[in-house]
Amino acid sequence: MNGEIELKVENLKKWFPVRRGIVSTLLSRKTDYVRAVDDISFEVRKGEIFGLAGESGCGKTTAGKTVLRLLEPTSGKIYFEGRDITALNKLEMKELRRRMQIVYQDPYQSLNPRMTVFDIIAEPIQVHKMSDSLAETEDIVHKALEEVELIPGEDFVYRFPHELSGGQRQRVAVARTLVLQPSFIVADEPISMLDVSIRAGILKVMLKTRLAQDVTYIFITHDLAYARHICHRGAIMYSGKIVEMTSMDHLVKHPLHPYTIALMKAVPVPDPEYEKARAVIGGEVPTPINPPPGCRFHPRCSKASDICRKEEPELTEVGNEHFVACHHAL
Amino acid sequence: MTILEVQDLKTYYSTLMGDVKAVDDVRLRMDKGEALGLVGESGCGKTTLALAIMRLLPWNGRIAGGKIMLNDIDIVGLDDKTFDKEYRWKKMSYVFQGAMNALNPVFKVGAQIAEAITIHEDVENPEAMERARELFRLVGIDPERTTSFPHELSGGMKQRAMIAMALACNPDFIIADEPTTALDVIVQAQTLEVMRELQKKLGLTTMIITHDLSVVAQTCSTCAIMYAGNLVEYADINTIFSEPAHPYTKALIGAFPSIKEDRRELVSIAGVPPNLLHPPTGCRFNPRCPNRMDICSKEKPDYLELEDGHNAACHLLTKEG
Ligand SMILES: Nc1ncnc2c1ncn2[C@@H]1O[C@H](COP(=O)(O)OP(=O)(O)O)[C@@H](O)[C@H]1O
Ligand SMILES: Nc1ncnc2c1ncn2[C@@H]1O[C@H](COP(=O)(O)OP(=O)(O)O)[C@@H](O)[C@H]1O
Ligand SMILES: [Mg+2]
Ligand SMILES: [Mg+2]
Repeated sequence: MNGEIELKVENLKKWFPVRRGIVSTLLSRKTDYVRAVDDISFEVRKGEIFGLAGESGCGKTTAGKTVLRLLEPTSGKIYFEGRDITALNKLEMKELRRRMQIVYQDPYQSLNPRMTVFDIIAEPIQVHKMSDSLAETEDIVHKALEEVELIPGEDFVYRFPHELSGGQRQRVAVARTLVLQPSFIVADEPISMLDVSIRAGILKVMLKTRLAQDVTYIFITHDLAYARHICHRGAIMYSGKIVEMTSMDHLVKHPLHPYTIALMKAVPVPDPEYEKARAVIGGEVPTPINPPPGCRFHPRCSKASDICRKEEPELTEVGNEHFVACHHAL
Repeated sequence: MTILEVQDLKTYYSTLMGDVKAVDDVRLRMDKGEALGLVGESGCGKTTLALAIMRLLPWNGRIAGGKIMLNDIDIVGLDDKTFDKEYRWKKMSYVFQGAMNALNPVFKVGAQIAEAITIHEDVENPEAMERARELFRLVGIDPERTTSFPHELSGGMKQRAMIAMALACNPDFIIADEPTTALDVIVQAQTLEVMRELQKKLGLTTMIITHDLSVVAQTCSTCAIMYAGNLVEYADINTIFSEPAHPYTKALIGAFPSIKEDRRELVSIAGVPPNLLHPPTGCRFNPRCPNRMDICSKEKPDYLELEDGHNAACHLLTKEG
């Protein structure tokens, strides 16, 4: 990591229109939106693993897909290696697609069940014309399988996804991504559906190329313990917003936002000697349709005061690279 | 006082390819008031063990040997009628995996709990409704919510409603199968608090099934580790974490990240759990074990008592010298 900015996101929004019944459509013409991602800004440095963490529904997946333009942003800018990719047309985007990849959460759905492992991994090589001959394609596929430790490769190339375990499937998904030699990967909860016992192995094969090829990652997770062990820096999201952002280590040790603090207290520790996890706040994450005025977290926050109900707090630097969006965090 | 004693239980599923030996020679004893965590990778037989105890096995599942003693009565031999009338719901009940999605969407949740009560006990509906309200209070939901439909409750509330339902007929013993697996961290913490409260307030004996060691560390007094249909270790919760005896237990703990420890490399367990149609001979963990010896693929290790209340099955523990 050399501090160079690989990805810069500015005021990114992704709103989904809400489908409404005929009656409400007749009664008013206003459309409601799910503000899945609502004005977030952050930077990811070259070679870094940047965590996007938060409870389900807070907007992590939408943010990850929008950053890659797999979803069109509602507004905002995305700079990849200095270039504003929101302004690129389809053809220009296609060239970038190879270098900006995503690994999905569910290895059961992300692989075509009718394709063999060979075809699954060879497809992107062909689409992006990265090989001149079948022999070369075969060679790349075998190397990729070795890379993800599906060894010997010959045992796997003719299998179909249903003949693989969940972990093996996710390895194939990772291989399919790595053959393109991307420089930026969004990993959307890539291990959350797998057994704890095999997660570390998947992470290892996914992340080992980072050092060799200087790959940059956005690592999406709802599990803060994993975030702590994997990510360098990270952001906590709540209801479409980033509420806190800093180095992962600092975030865990010195959280400032009341929501981050509540999250940290709720994480169970695998050690009976530790203080038990507690839910210091009630309720659950609301769907961000018509969010409350002011701070989105204020209905659940014990520190909430008048200003929190009126003014939306901005994400502000409160210390060395420590950003918080809270009127009371200082 | 022993409430449950499982003796050399075998539970198999018959399939076209042969028997799946999902639970094989499991021995387990639970005292009244104990909170046992049953831990293991998916497919190791946790749910099967629970279903066998609750006599809810699917049509192709059968108890192929062993006993399940509840308060000194072997419930394997009981006829269905007696079991339904006197045991399930009343003496023990089960919150099954994914239960929160199983509430009937067209009925109010309170009515569903009340129905469970009127089916199993000789009470009138108003009294049953009052019980439902009490149960809601017990699991920390506003009793007014008994008149809500399932879709009006959040995921966490639905899970607690299912726990309330399991308590409808005052059982002494409940099994909760992956009760927090689908929940977010704060809601999980809320649910675990409820479980701890119930253990304290009602003196309830609980078996919590999970693949998550941190959930066990938070809610259980004892822990049983299951691998490929066998119990490989059992001890009180502190011993499991501080002095695990079985290499599998050690490996599981090593694979589990804690938010309280500094960044470290996480270690996974090599390989995959075996197919239970043809489990490995000897110790079932031997193909993945970092400490494997010659004997391990040949002989099945005995499930030994190392100390009072600490059992494990591993050849390392009997190795000479
Ligand atoms: N295609 C869509 N249409 C409408 N709403 C959506 C769509 N995708 C996501 N959402 C909503 O946006 C919010 C954020 O979702 P998501 O990005 O999937 O969150 P996360 O990945 O953090 O769980 C949720 O309320 C979700 O229901
Ligand atoms: N109805 C069934 N028929 C055949 N095999 C089954 C059936 N139910 C479960 N199994 C198999 O039994 C083993 C144990 O399953 P289960 O008890 O559900 O494990 P766990 O709850 O630990 O994930 C697995 O190998 C599973 O595939
Ligand atoms: Mg998601
Ligand atoms: Mg199960």
